[in-house]
Amino acid sequence: MADPLDSGDDIFNRLKRGVDPKLQDEKTRLANERELAQFEKAQRRLGELIQDNSTLPTTISSIRILNATNTRKGFLNRIFNPIISANQDRPFTLAEAIREVSIGADKLHKLDIFHEPISLFVDRPSQTDPSTTPTDVDIYLSVVEKSRFKFKTGTDIGNAEGSAYVDGLARNVFGGAESLNVNASFGTRTRSAYQASFETPILSNPDLRWEFGGLASSTQKPWSSHEEVLKGGWTKLKWATLGGGRHEFGYNGVWRQITGLAGNASPTVRGDAGDSVKSSLMHTWVKDRRDNPQLPTRGYLSKSTLELAGWGPLQGDVAFGKAEVEAQGAIPVPIPGFHGESGISLTTGLRAGLLHPLPLGAESKSKPSRINDRFQLGGPTDVRGFRLSGLGPRDGSDALGGDVYAAGSANLLFPIPRVGKDKPFRFQIFANGGRLLALKRSKVEGTDGEKARQALSTTMAELGNGLPSMAAGFGLVYAHPVARFELNFSLPLVLRKGEDGRKGLQFGIGINML
Amino acid sequence: MPQNADTTSEEKPKSSRPKSQTGEASRQWITTPQPIRRLFDKFPLRTYPVNELPQRSPRTCDRNTLWILTTEKGAQLGVPSFNPGCLKWQVYLLFKGIDFVTIPSNNHASPTGALPFLLPASSSKNSGEAVLPVPSIRIERWLREKKTMGRPSDEVSEGRKQHAEATASAKLTSTYKESVDMRYEAYMSLLNCRIRNAYLYSLYLCPPNFASIVLPCYIKPSTSNTLARLALSHQLRAAAETELLKQSPIIDVEAIYRECHKAFEALSNLLGDDKYFFGEETPGLFDASVFAYTHVLLDENLDWKHTRITEGLEQNGNLVEHQKRIMEGWFGNNPQGRTGSHEGLK
Repeated sequence: MADPLDSGDDIFNRLKRGVDPKLQDEKTRLANERELAQFEKAQRRLGELIQDNSTLPTTISSIRILNATNTRKGFLNRIFNPIISANQDRPFTLAEAIREVSIGADKLHKLDIFHEPISLFVDRPSQTDPSTTPTDVDIYLSVVEKSRFKFKTGTDIGNAEGSAYVDGLARNVFGGAESLNVNASFGTRTRSAYQASFETPILSNPDLRWEFGGLASSTQKPWSSHEEVLKGGWTKLKWATLGGGRHEFGYNGVWRQITGLAGNASPTVRGDAGDSVKSSLMHTWVKDRRDNPQLPTRGYLSKSTLELAGWGPLQGDVAFGKAEVEAQGAIPVPIPGFHGESGISLTTGLRAGLLHPLPLGAESKSKPSRINDRFQLGGPTDVRGFRLSGLGPRDGSDALGGDVYAAGSANLLFPIPRVGKDKPFRFQIFANGGRLLALKRSKVEGTDGEKARQALSTTMAELGNGLPSMAAGFGLVYAHPVARFELNFSLPLVLRKGEDGRKGLQFGIGINML
Repeated sequence: MPQNADTTSEEKPKSSRPKSQTGEASRQWITTPQPIRRLFDKFPLRTYPVNELPQRSPRTCDRNTLWILTTEKGAQLGVPSFNPGCLKWQVYLLFKGIDFVTIPSNNHASPTGALPFLLPASSSKNSGEAVLPVPSIRIERWLREKKTMGRPSDEVSEGRKQHAEATASAKLTSTYKESVDMRYEAYMSLLNCRIRNAYLYSLYLCPPNFASIVLPCYIKPSTSNTLARLALSHQLRAAAETELLKQSPIIDVEAIYRECHKAFEALSNLLGDDKYFFGEETPGLFDASVFAYTHVLLDENLDWKHTRITEGLEQNGNLVEHQKRIMEGWFGNNPQGRTGSHEGLK
């Protein structure tokens, strides 16, 4: 667009004055719009072209993955061989062929070894080649491999803990999207932690993976005056179902040591000090349908964890069955008379767990649970308004944990004025509460099974005895993509004697908050 | 909490308020102004009774507990510990007529990293107050403090009352004498170095004994896992080795046994025909220390495969007699039937 020139003298003045920034902006905007319109038109034309030819019979004669130099051919073959027409009993239509290829490209995405986006080209082989048929097309997928090694060092501050870490990731180790992750961290609370894990897709399927790993760590547990030293390993199978659920099933073997007791550690903690080996099978299932895991406005999350330790051939030193369930739901709250999303949302969460001792191996009697197997509850990431592990039975100043728990929370989140609903900041009002109980001793005479059932039923009855321990408050929420930060003011409403409520401000960082 | 603050709520800065109270309050709520503090004091709105403790929590807080290396069954019967360090204080507390129960434990539980330690009975009935553990090096001081508190009768169990009465007169003077006696120090070092070295070597670094005693007594009760047991065995052996290497640059097995045998001879000469060491009428800490080793070495329930150290001890008949005397006097013929064995180990 040219400015109309009125007179020759003007031109120098105009040049002197420089370019009007408004005009400049206007120009770029128009240019962008034009470009966008052109691009859209081209896309539409392409779409129409494919639409018009969607039933065109197509045979895929070859699929070439360009630039995948470090990836094994056999590994890629397993993804794309089935859609090559030589392996199909009938020709595709064009639409089908494109769909099949994009499913394959999607798998490549999920393997997390290529940069996005993966470009797709379709080409017709030269008709002069006698081996081709007129319906043949060649597919080219152009990928850029992600760097094979990644090193990261850094420091973290959160949940009253400072730490430094070294993180190493080797991608595509054997050319089959296998990854090796090595991690070491040193902190004020987690004194040291080393972890290594190896993960590989099975049969080139990104939704079916096998992982194994090992860890060695030493963690301070100031809420119960001890330090826990862990050494162990695990192996597990992870898979995703069509409904969006993710499963994990695996085996854990960990040697735990409760050591480094504080001078004022309680007799209970002293009694549990020492070594124990946990050998367990574990299954977790997660279905996450929330729109944003850190700050959901709609959707739900459900999760269940089952663990079976020490039973039958599993051996080890502890035997129990442990089950935990979690549900979280979020709904947007409309304001009457306000059109569109108000940005206000209500989230509610519920968690519950049960640990039941089992007879170890071939023994006939079950032993009561230990402190490192029991649940802990309370703190800024679950029941806010309580100190870390502030709920449940205590011996002196030590939180001993419990065998049964239930906790719930309701948070009402408002956008902050002037910041807006699109920013990850919210103001929240919340109320939450829970109970954490140890299994009671059975008072009836009878067989072990009867005693256990009676103990369980009296404990369950106690869960509903009186109001749960509760706290309520308000605060600010910031949802960073990796974690949620909260600064809350809260007051405890209902307590059990000895439980550690917190009056005033509390800061929390968490990945999975109640 | 200043409860009366509520009554003077009309004008906050009342000059008549005691200074000390404001000082105390400001320490607790450093930046919280008065009205908010009053609001805070109203919370929690409701407090229910305390949560019940888990099943594994020990419930013997009304009695003194001595945490030692022993078996579950051994603790019930009150049999001597299989570890000299623990046995020394176990038998010493018996000498002093202290009422206590033993609890099987491991070194991780101890405030010092080594057993034994004593957890005194919570004297006051308010259970909220934590009782601090008394590590072995402070047990003597604890006994002295307990004595000066001067309530011996209600702490002493009926079964051992006569012992306590018998020793009561001699107790104060004997502990005093023990600690100043120069010979006492010299003989104690004989026990803590020469005999202990030979004991460490024979137990941990002599494979037959390691298999027949350390494995069943020290390692198997910790965990049932083979890998963890291997790691623990290795740790124990390495610890014994470094302990021995602290005292000499090389481990000379012959010299260790020779010195140990000489030490037994010296102790035997010291005891002579007396009932207890240093000519005392009642046994003291030194008797407990000697008994701790001689009993562990002579205990028929412990299966010593390599018996060189025991052979050296058995040549000194009066030491064996001394061990029998204490065993019968304090573990043998009491009403609870303190005879028993480490059956659980086998």
